[in-house]
Amino acid sequence: MNTLLAVRDLTLGFYGAQILRGVDFNIRGGTITGLIGPNGAGKSTLFNAISGLYGPNGGKVTLGGDDVTGLKPHLLVRRGLVRTFQLARGFPKLSVFQHLMLYGLDQPGEMLAAALFSSSAARKREQELSEKALETARRLRLGHVIDNPVTALSGGQKKLVEIGRALMADPKIILLDEPMAGVNPSLADEIAEHLVALNGDGITICLIEHDMALIKRLCDPVVVLAEGKTLMEGTFDEVASDAEVQEAYLGTRR
Amino acid sequence: MSILLQALLNGVMNGALIAVPAIGFTAIFAVLRYPNFAIAAYATIGAFAAWWVNVHFGAGILPALLVAFAIAGCIGVGAEETALKQLRGAGALTVAIGSIALNTVLENVVRLFFGNDLRGYDLPLVPDWRFMGLRVGPQQLQSLAFAVVIMAAVFAFLRYTRFGKAMRAVADNSDLARLKGIEPAHVAVMTIFLGAGLAGVGGVLIGLDASIDPLLGFRVLLTVFAAAVLGGLGSIPGAVVGALAIGIAEECALLVAPASYRSAVGFAAILLVLTVRPRGFFGERAN
Repeated sequence: MNTLLAVRDLTLGFYGAQILRGVDFNIRGGTITGLIGPNGAGKSTLFNAISGLYGPNGGKVTLGGDDVTGLKPHLLVRRGLVRTFQLARGFPKLSVFQHLMLYGLDQPGEMLAAALFSSSAARKREQELSEKALETARRLRLGHVIDNPVTALSGGQKKLVEIGRALMADPKIILLDEPMAGVNPSLADEIAEHLVALNGDGITICLIEHDMALIKRLCDPVVVLAEGKTLMEGTFDEVASDAEVQEAYLGTRR
Repeated sequence: MSILLQALLNGVMNGALIAVPAIGFTAIFAVLRYPNFAIAAYATIGAFAAWWVNVHFGAGILPALLVAFAIAGCIGVGAEETALKQLRGAGALTVAIGSIALNTVLENVVRLFFGNDLRGYDLPLVPDWRFMGLRVGPQQLQSLAFAVVIMAAVFAFLRYTRFGKAMRAVADNSDLARLKGIEPAHVAVMTIFLGAGLAGVGGVLIGLDASIDPLLGFRVLLTVFAAAVLGGLGSIPGAVVGALAIGIAEECALLVAPASYRSAVGFAAILLVLTVRPRGFFGERAN
């Protein structure tokens, strides 16, 4: 199958600590790829390096064949690579609807001159995005809280807003940083269903998750990261039965 | 009754002057997440820059305030980029300590050029106004008016301009802001300019009341810091409310205690408030 995102020998360190020591893996288009590894393996840092929040020190990231290494985050968003954050704080003063609107692409109304002088185009786009935001909220079952400030939402609903924000940018691939961590089990299940549905619509997903039951249920393939390197890649069963992976999680057996 | 009213009036006027540098301090904290104690030196630098154009070029208060804002802002950005920026990776405490050192360095640079003498602005002396048993100086009223206009301008800037919105976005969630194409590094530079500039303007307003010397900023630093903490670090309305509360508390303290206990009573009030409400009036909960 076709490779959508390829990471080659990616390295990143700061303040003397080497976090990524040469990460290599591919994400095939249309998959839900799981990214697992013990705490401190560098999973979130890897997402930060891929999504442009930190510039990597070395290595290469390609998206659909184009070199996108070190591109600024909002330019990656325009190319269809969007990530969510583990800490789904959002902007405390904005409502769910405002969050969604803010991350719609191509908003001429954001520029004062365009808002004043070509207001019909700006208004038309605003109308389109507003419909898209309502549709996205309905789809994620956030319709009833759409005008609430994000601070008034439950932890799970905040994670859904993060996903909704990602969807507003028409992504090809979403990097999800623990979208179900700390969420109550029934809502976590609902989020998992949303992910399957989004994947069914053709969106490729890369998922960091600690709950192995969820990884087993959702992800194929699974990539294992340990100490800043890719340890192995395979189906969940292959990965789970691998001695090296068990060692990385449980420590060396003597 | 009129004594109490007079204390309230004086408190509001002093508080409004403290509010201007306190806004600068809290804005820097909101975006860069460290307390920048060098704002004391920026206040002093602003006061001297305004004094210089006032005495040597006969500039009136308004142009002098603009000069103070621009010069204090530029020096703030220069000092931040050369000295403090390098420390950011080591954490907020290190930058805060660095800013205390920077403050002493800048204060002595001012001393090098202007000496230790007290200087006064070249302004006409006018008698106090009296009404309903209250006394108020026209100069104080003018400073109060400037402080109010400056605060209104800052609020409008943050609320309505692209840059003000970008500043608030970075303060609220800098990673999320970057996904939208807002560059926190640029916002940081502008915030330092604004914060140091406001400190400079505050220095002039404080100096107009009496005289200026190289310790002008340092003398009010603790009060400015306390105002920001009391209002909730990082909250701009909080800095205003905190400054007014401290101004009024200090003046009211004069009614019940000798003048030498003035700051003690004010700060006791702060301890009390922070004991009950550690995040200050408008501070966000730590998360």
